[in-house]
Amino acid sequence: MGMSLSGRAIVPVTITVTGFVVICCLLLYQAIKQDMTQDTVRHETALAQTVVRSTRYAMLKADRETVQNIVTTVGSQQDVEQVRIFNKRGVIMFSSHSGELNRQVDRNSEGCIACHAGATPLATMGSMQQARRYRNERGETVLAITAPIYNEPDCFNATCHVHPATQKVLGTLDIGLSQKSLQATLATLRSRMALFSVMILLLTVAGVSAILRRSLFLPVQRLESFALQLAAGHRDIPQPDLNGELETIGRTLQELADSSGKDAGKNSRT
Amino acid sequence: MKMPIGKSITEPLHDAPLPETQAGNEQARRAATGRVREFQRRSLRGVWYLTLFLGISLVAQQLGSHLPDFPPSVRQLLGAPPSAKMISGLLIVYSFSALILILGRMTTGTGAFSGLSHVGYLLVFYAFYHVAHALDDNFYAVLAAGITILSLESYHIWTWHQERIRQEKQYIVRLDRMREWKRG
Repeated sequence: MGMSLSGRAIVPVTITVTGFVVICCLLLYQAIKQDMTQDTVRHETALAQTVVRSTRYAMLKADRETVQNIVTTVGSQQDVEQVRIFNKRGVIMFSSHSGELNRQVDRNSEGCIACHAGATPLATMGSMQQARRYRNERGETVLAITAPIYNEPDCFNATCHVHPATQKVLGTLDIGLSQKSLQATLATLRSRMALFSVMILLLTVAGVSAILRRSLFLPVQRLESFALQLAAGHRDIPQPDLNGELETIGRTLQELADSSGKDAGKNSRT
Repeated sequence: MKMPIGKSITEPLHDAPLPETQAGNEQARRAATGRVREFQRRSLRGVWYLTLFLGISLVAQQLGSHLPDFPPSVRQLLGAPPSAKMISGLLIVYSFSALILILGRMTTGTGAFSGLSHVGYLLVFYAFYHVAHALDDNFYAVLAAGITILSLESYHIWTWHQERIRQEKQYIVRLDRMREWKRG
């Protein structure tokens, strides 16, 4: 066969346990990652709605300075990568980065294409569809949400405004949060799962080896040594300390050796 | 004294009757040698299927995100794909069942081999994840499942055939002894 008894016992156990633990860990990691990402998107959507509601009164009053102040303040928070408000034509009206003010974005760019793919732009989307990922100049992953700013009765009934009641969306708010902390948490989770898999593997192999060695391999080795000594003609050796079926085999070997010795004696006398 | 490869091969050869004539002995020896060669060839089937699966996985990884999606009409006909979590749950159940079945075959000493079916099932998992737009995230889970199942299957089929080869070689030794005894 080319493989010892211990090898034949341990190899299938190792393949099965390690493989199954790795499969479960990979799928569990993906499920946790998906849940955490969904939670982050929900949190970011709520933050976007907070910013939209905070700026609503200032927008009604056409108070640009207050809107810009809110956008700058929110944008200066830790992990907030950018806050922008676009008008209907895609021009950046307010931004936490002053350098990009009055710049027009391409409708086919990521974040815009989801709504502007068809002839008529979509007015509503699910929170997961609003989310997009990109890497900033520092190489960090940023999760951005584009939330529509809807036209409401207060807006189209106001005397100072020109939005018709038929216009559903007035503009969009784009907010991006750095995923550095989420990536760090996921990296920790990955390393813990890898460590857990290795520990399971070591415990399984060590446990199976210890049990098999104690209850099977050592008694079989003793029986093998006993049988070899009997075959070599040493009939006066004591039977090894065995139990169960192995003890029966040992006793039978002893009896066979004794009876063959007696037969040999008889033959030599005759 | 020809023993067919298949069902009767699980019967032990140590007490198989030896042919009485010299011609019968030669014929039995040739048949046993042929069976040894056949067993040696078959013992590597698991490795070939594992290699086939790894090749398919490599292609799936390289082309996974570039493969065209179904046209909207076909998607509408098929309906919404199952969620990635549902496919993952099914992958765990499938892996567990496959491993238990292979261990069961190892315990009972059955030489059945189902490597090709497993390659097919695993391909279906790749396809489902692709349709659910979750192949990139779950590729390594399917790869790990395939490697585990096909490795265990390969190990089982290899040890099973090695055991049969050992029995055939013992039978050949008995045939040789019988021939020598007849000559002497």
